[in-house]
Amino acid sequence: MSRLNSARELEHLREHLREKRKDITTTVMVCGGTGCQASRSRVLINAVKEELTRLGLEERVRLCATGCHGFCEQGPVVVIEPSNVFYCHVSPDDAFEIVYQTIMNGKLIDRLLYVDPTSGKKVRTQSEIPFYRAQDRQILSQNLMIDPCSIEDYIVAGGYSALVKVLNGVTPEQIIKEIKAAGLRGRGGGGFPTGRKWSECWEAPGDEKYVICNADEGDPGAYMDRCVLEGNPHLILEGMMIGAKAVGARKGYIYVRNEYPLAVEHSRIAIEQARELGLLGDNILGSSFSFDMDIARGGGAFVCGESTALMASVEGKVGEPRPKDVHTVVDGLYHKPTTLNNVETWANVPAIILKGSSWFASKGSQGSKGTKILALTGRIKNTGLVEVAMGMPINQVVFDIGGGGVNGKQIKAVQIGGPSGGCLPVEKFDLPVDFDVLAEAGSMVGSGGMVVMDEESCMVDVAKYFLTFLQDESCGKCLPCRVGVGRMLEIIGEITEGRGRLEQLDLLEELAETVSQTSLCGLGKTAPNPVLTTLRYFRPEYEAHIKEKKCPAGVCKALITYQIVPDRCNGCGVCLRACIHKAITGKKQKSHVINARLCQKCGICRSECKFDAIQVV
Amino acid sequence: MQQYVNVSIDGAIIHAVKGTSVLDTAIEYGICIPHLCHVPHLSDIGACRLCIVEHLVDGRSNVTTSCTLNVQEGMMILTSTDKIRKFRRNLAELLVAQAPNSRAIQDIAVRCGVKEVRYPFRNEDCVLCGRCVRVCAEVWKANAKGFVGRGKERHVDYPFGIRPDFCKQCGSCIQLCPMTITPCDGPMKPGEERLCGNCESQLMLADQTPGSCIWCKLGESFACGRYA
Repeated sequence: MSRLNSARELEHLREHLREKRKDITTTVMVCGGTGCQASRSRVLINAVKEELTRLGLEERVRLCATGCHGFCEQGPVVVIEPSNVFYCHVSPDDAFEIVYQTIMNGKLIDRLLYVDPTSGKKVRTQSEIPFYRAQDRQILSQNLMIDPCSIEDYIVAGGYSALVKVLNGVTPEQIIKEIKAAGLRGRGGGGFPTGRKWSECWEAPGDEKYVICNADEGDPGAYMDRCVLEGNPHLILEGMMIGAKAVGARKGYIYVRNEYPLAVEHSRIAIEQARELGLLGDNILGSSFSFDMDIARGGGAFVCGESTALMASVEGKVGEPRPKDVHTVVDGLYHKPTTLNNVETWANVPAIILKGSSWFASKGSQGSKGTKILALTGRIKNTGLVEVAMGMPINQVVFDIGGGGVNGKQIKAVQIGGPSGGCLPVEKFDLPVDFDVLAEAGSMVGSGGMVVMDEESCMVDVAKYFLTFLQDESCGKCLPCRVGVGRMLEIIGEITEGRGRLEQLDLLEELAETVSQTSLCGLGKTAPNPVLTTLRYFRPEYEAHIKEKKCPAGVCKALITYQIVPDRCNGCGVCLRACIHKAITGKKQKSHVINARLCQKCGICRSECKFDAIQVV
Repeated sequence: MQQYVNVSIDGAIIHAVKGTSVLDTAIEYGICIPHLCHVPHLSDIGACRLCIVEHLVDGRSNVTTSCTLNVQEGMMILTSTDKIRKFRRNLAELLVAQAPNSRAIQDIAVRCGVKEVRYPFRNEDCVLCGRCVRVCAEVWKANAKGFVGRGKERHVDYPFGIRPDFCKQCGSCIQLCPMTITPCDGPMKPGEERLCGNCESQLMLADQTPGSCIWCKLGESFACGRYA
């Protein structure tokens, strides 16, 4: 494709591409996101392609390897347009049947349809599935139509029209005003108003400025940035171009973790394609606006998601935060004014420009506008990516979309916002997903990771897990984060091993407050949140560990013992053979016994027992 | 020409040189803020967090380190509120639990009002204040040592663990290290570490007038005014 020299040429190209695709009657959209690739969707895509070629259908049927659809639990998923048939758990062997039955003859394949777990009925299309029904998919729905490696797909879907609109005589002030009016807030964690950030950067002195996309997502259980960047990289590029125009930057970076190979690859391809079309480079679309972009790959440090550490890392220095008494919008990358936004924030920008701020502000709650992508994981039926309008109660997210606990277990809590967020108990589930409300409750929206925990999760153990993660990921520069988090972990470790004392809980609280108030960067400031919220909402559990030396959830190994209930054990000997520590003894047909001294509490016997005869007390 | 700004530190209006840090200004005017990693004429990294102060902005108070905060016109700083003293005490407690064998750190702990240490002592050799690294890099431009590792593994070392030729063994790093002076009775044996408390007069002084100067051992090398 040749370089585009004006907005009109882009429109021509769009028309031309649409004309070319006129004959396509059917589109097969196979998810090629990381989750589905792990369930062999690549093989499936190749198999479908082979079948289409063999049957001579390539002209009429378009095969599209898309980004993540969100319902990773059911992967690999296939959607066939125009009838919108939704197939899940598709294996490569099903390729022939899909092409022959559904595409050629319009028949449904019954066994690939999704079964609604509540009604038990088979469901034909995506919109009938409860998981999708309650969502408001503004960003994720675009993933479905686009092959991330094809700029053509993005242009056909109306891409880069927001850029055209902005280049057409709109001043930076007008863009910033629009973003401010939309009420867009940073999706990376802090929820800082994006418009204010941009206007501060625009006002900052200096003619060399930068925009950066933060795709250094490292929260356990969160992967929404990954899926957006993998599934629709041009959307991010367009958002960043608009942002660059607004703040007056000529250079941008996408800072993406090297552990996301697909995201690195797709953004690299996207940048190359945009350069080839002249959408990046000097005098974009014949205007006076020039902008170029590069990818900076992160080395896998969680702390590099913090703005100053990220910028140090882009500069090639050690990824450590520095004090932010002067904000990065004034003194950022290479000591120049820099606007850093999260992937999802950038992804929201083109739609705001195209559809207007009032459209965006019409969604969401009082203080938090628009939609938010949440990564629903943990002990829940439907895991995956969920996009909801802000202000939706947690209840609805966990029970309506998520479908409730696995195996009918009671849900106890949800950890929102990753390791820096907090645990909210089920009584607080009427709270909305809203920056201010959740912050008040001691948690935060954060990047949007939601880890659901049920009655079999020990909250002390959960706090220990997140503290261990944060201690490993702390850069070690400042005392409270390096030593304070370590000491908190030490205390919690003692509690889980039954050596805790009651006064340690107060010490824990005091230490947590000190760490959160005095740490250098956001990592340390939010590190005690898991401890503080679990102490606040689940104090009885801590006390049970200390006073009764019992772990109510049966997780902390030092405080539990495995026992065989004699009435239920029929002496089948399965556990006896399964125990690798030889801790189980007993004669055939007679009830078995676990030798507490030899038992390593690995839990193998319990999972092997078919009669539910092994108990944890 | 030097420009001046007016800042309020603990209610005192100070005519301070623009571009200096709040910590330097406060020390120069006789308001001592405890600090460890700060060394005059070296860059500040805000690692020890002992010099935290309350910075009032639009009625909200931010807790921030005074060494990295530059003075600005009309700034309101509080160096010794109850909140700050509590945080500082907790930080000093963490610090002394890490390194009880340093007189400087024992002094700081007393100075910050630590009465008991609620954590097991660890007896480490280094508190990662980074004084040595910065003096080597900034004064001697040698960069012979630096921080290695992340989080728990962070330590100060030569490049690849070998002393390079460009380390002239000038000893500046040793001069500035807070770990070189042991408590009065000499190094404590493992398992017998304690909060020193030998300098009872100092403890009493710290008790009666919290935040006052106890002429700490570290003061000699940071020239805190009393020793100047």
